[in-house]
Amino acid sequence: MGQIIIQGFLLSGLYALIAVGFTMIFSVGRVLNLAYGVYIMLGGYVYFVAVQMMSLPKVPSFLFAALAGVIFGLLTYQLLVKRLQSDPIAVEISTLILAVVMQATIIVIFSPAPRSMWPLVPGVIYIYDVGVLKNILLATVVSWVVLGGLMIFVRKTHTGRAIRAVSMDTKGAVICGIDPQRINLITWGLSGALGAIAGVFFATYTQLDPGMWVFPLITAVAVVIVGGIGSIVGSLIAAHIIGFMETITTTLIAAELRGVFTMLLIIFVLVVAPKGLFGKAEL
Amino acid sequence: MIRFLDQIRWWLLFAAVMCLLPLVVSTGTLRIFIFANFLAIFAMSWDILSGRTGYISFGHPFLIGIAGYTTAMLTYHLDWPLYSTIPLAVVMTMIGGTLFFLPALRTRGTYFALVTLAFMELMYHSMQVVQPKLTGGTRGLSGLPTVVYGALPNYYLSFAVMFIIAVGLWLLIRTRLGIALNAIRMDEDAVRSSGLNTTRLKLFAFMISAMVAGIGGALYTHYLGSIAPRGIFEINFLFTILVAALLGGAGSIVGPIIGAFFLTFLLELLRPYIPGAGRYLIYGVIALVLYYYAPKGIYSLIQPLRIRLSRSSRGAQID
Amino acid sequence: MTDLLAVQDLSKTFGGLSAVKNLSFCVSEGETVGLIGPNGAGKTTIFNLIMNEFRPDSGEIFFKGEAISRYPTHERVKLGIARTYQVPRPFSEMTVGENIRVGLLPDNLWKMVTEETDEALEIEIGRSVGFDDHQIAQQPSELAMGDLRRLELARTLAIQPSLLLLDEVFAGLTLGEIDQISELLVERKKYGLTYVMVSHDLRSMAPLVDRVIAVSFGEIITEGTFDEVVNNKIVQEAYLGQ
Repeated sequence: MGQIIIQGFLLSGLYALIAVGFTMIFSVGRVLNLAYGVYIMLGGYVYFVAVQMMSLPKVPSFLFAALAGVIFGLLTYQLLVKRLQSDPIAVEISTLILAVVMQATIIVIFSPAPRSMWPLVPGVIYIYDVGVLKNILLATVVSWVVLGGLMIFVRKTHTGRAIRAVSMDTKGAVICGIDPQRINLITWGLSGALGAIAGVFFATYTQLDPGMWVFPLITAVAVVIVGGIGSIVGSLIAAHIIGFMETITTTLIAAELRGVFTMLLIIFVLVVAPKGLFGKAEL
Repeated sequence: MIRFLDQIRWWLLFAAVMCLLPLVVSTGTLRIFIFANFLAIFAMSWDILSGRTGYISFGHPFLIGIAGYTTAMLTYHLDWPLYSTIPLAVVMTMIGGTLFFLPALRTRGTYFALVTLAFMELMYHSMQVVQPKLTGGTRGLSGLPTVVYGALPNYYLSFAVMFIIAVGLWLLIRTRLGIALNAIRMDEDAVRSSGLNTTRLKLFAFMISAMVAGIGGALYTHYLGSIAPRGIFEINFLFTILVAALLGGAGSIVGPIIGAFFLTFLLELLRPYIPGAGRYLIYGVIALVLYYYAPKGIYSLIQPLRIRLSRSSRGAQID
Repeated sequence: MTDLLAVQDLSKTFGGLSAVKNLSFCVSEGETVGLIGPNGAGKTTIFNLIMNEFRPDSGEIFFKGEAISRYPTHERVKLGIARTYQVPRPFSEMTVGENIRVGLLPDNLWKMVTEETDEALEIEIGRSVGFDDHQIAQQPSELAMGDLRRLELARTLAIQPSLLLLDEVFAGLTLGEIDQISELLVERKKYGLTYVMVSHDLRSMAPLVDRVIAVSFGEIITEGTFDEVVNNKIVQEAYLGQ
């Protein structure tokens, strides 16, 4: 029982990070980035290459992974999305195609077989008699630190507030002299970083696999639907609901049915409360 | 707009060419065409919903899978005859699809896309685990009966089905229903403000889409003689269908057919040069580039040509 | 005389901001009512509530005696309410004629599939708002603002409403275009059409309205004839206080 509570909590932290990275783009740019999962995948693979194939030390490798995410995010925006921004459907489709292209690229470079990643911090630590992988604990701590940092960034810095402004009302932001294109660019880069960071941990939690970009994307979507658009608190709470339920399902029922509860929850919320728990609007 | 009779001529021409095709191509090529026909069916099924109403569905593999598995399980375990399992599979697809997609349809397009993606992923994992004795688990079911034997009969069968579906959809879309569905894509709120129940319209489009997907899925399963989670509930399959419809020209009936043929032959062309996943990479990049520069697809590029051809052959006024 | 439209104690808040507060008013059949007020007073919100763009927090809307607050948008339209938008929203990939065609569509799948398009009716409606045959085949992107507004009117007329909500129908028009639209509205009135119009252009509104309601911060300040309301001190303060 304690196992479930603690594992659930830890997983939820990571999911919260994943979800926030995803919603950022939606709040600011009003478009769906279906290639978001690719940042997660990239984070994992870059770290893998750096540490396990090139034997680089962990911290720089971690930063490389984050950087890879940032660069990919920026490039995706600049080369692909920027021109198609006015048509959300086009963005959905093109980011999906991009994700598939990246999946194929990974297969070509690495082979389709899944790989295990070494944990960032090996070993087990005991909290209230419950054995917890130090790696997962680190993941949660880092997730919360990053989220906290993001909160501060968004509230205290000029750029951060500009991002909030654009997410509330683009036209109003323009009148205040904010350049939405620049903000979009920054947001995409930031989203890439968040995704990649989450990805490093996510890959150690599950495994490296060219198709690993789909599941986190769906989880992020579920968090947004359940928590509601435009609500950070909602996302955090939803992340925990989903994290806990997933842990319960995988521990008590079957590991393969990991996503089932999430799916059913999505349907349930859409039927009963389309705005989500704290949503300010419907998607 | 080109006149009705004129378009009928194009359809008949197309049918004639395809019927005579086996006289000039090899059996191997015929098999490629069979695949293209099926892809065209799937692409049209996707397009009638997503291309037309703008509700991008990533769940078509899900629908195709329901049909495929229904008919597979019924024939494999219960030995039911094909003329009952296939229609049943189609019905199941429509019911199952509606059950799952209806909640999503009632909301806006963006949610719909995501929810359908999630379904597909879910099916992929579930099908491997849930009742593997029935579904064949990861390896699926094989040794299924086929409708007809041999490349030539399968070619004519797949083409006949594809053609009937194409003409049927074409006639349907030419009615005022087509206008309503197109309008939803352009501005759903405005359609509601015109006094139309858009949820019912979307549902109808969805049911047609599911029906076509079901027909295609059931027949395809019996052409291949097997079914497995990998290959159906897979992003690559989804991707193939989507790209076929988009490249060809979403929102038209002909577009997905063009796209399906184009894509199938492109894949075949690349096969000897680039093995395995590399092909998907190349063709994904091509798809991305083409979509970026011509989001309306090949059909939109050749349409002016068709108009010019008709005009010159008759000298009559185009309305 | 029965009220065509009756709004009772309508309230709507958006995240803490009270857009509409216990608002009540009536519109009789055949009337033209002007709805005026400074920016952000809640005028468009009222229209949105009547059309079900969002649900009210409290209150009720009656149309032809029926309580319609629970009805979805398309049902309200079928009962006879139509609306134009501040920024015209034509169907961008369709011609003028096709745009009108959408307005003529029956909300019935079977009819849509089996019945033929009545192109003659489309053209007639188009002509009744002043389009010539050449314009009917044009795309919205080729039209001027005045024509776009006429298209909006044509589409709403195709629906055959009893009540027409006009949201800033004069915005962005030249004086000549304003005259044209005004003429159209007056002409339609002969068929018994009831209007509620929101406009900042008080001068253009004046000859058209029977009665005016002034709104500020989500509440009604006063009602009366055009002159009464416009010369009302509180109304003037509300406007000038901007």
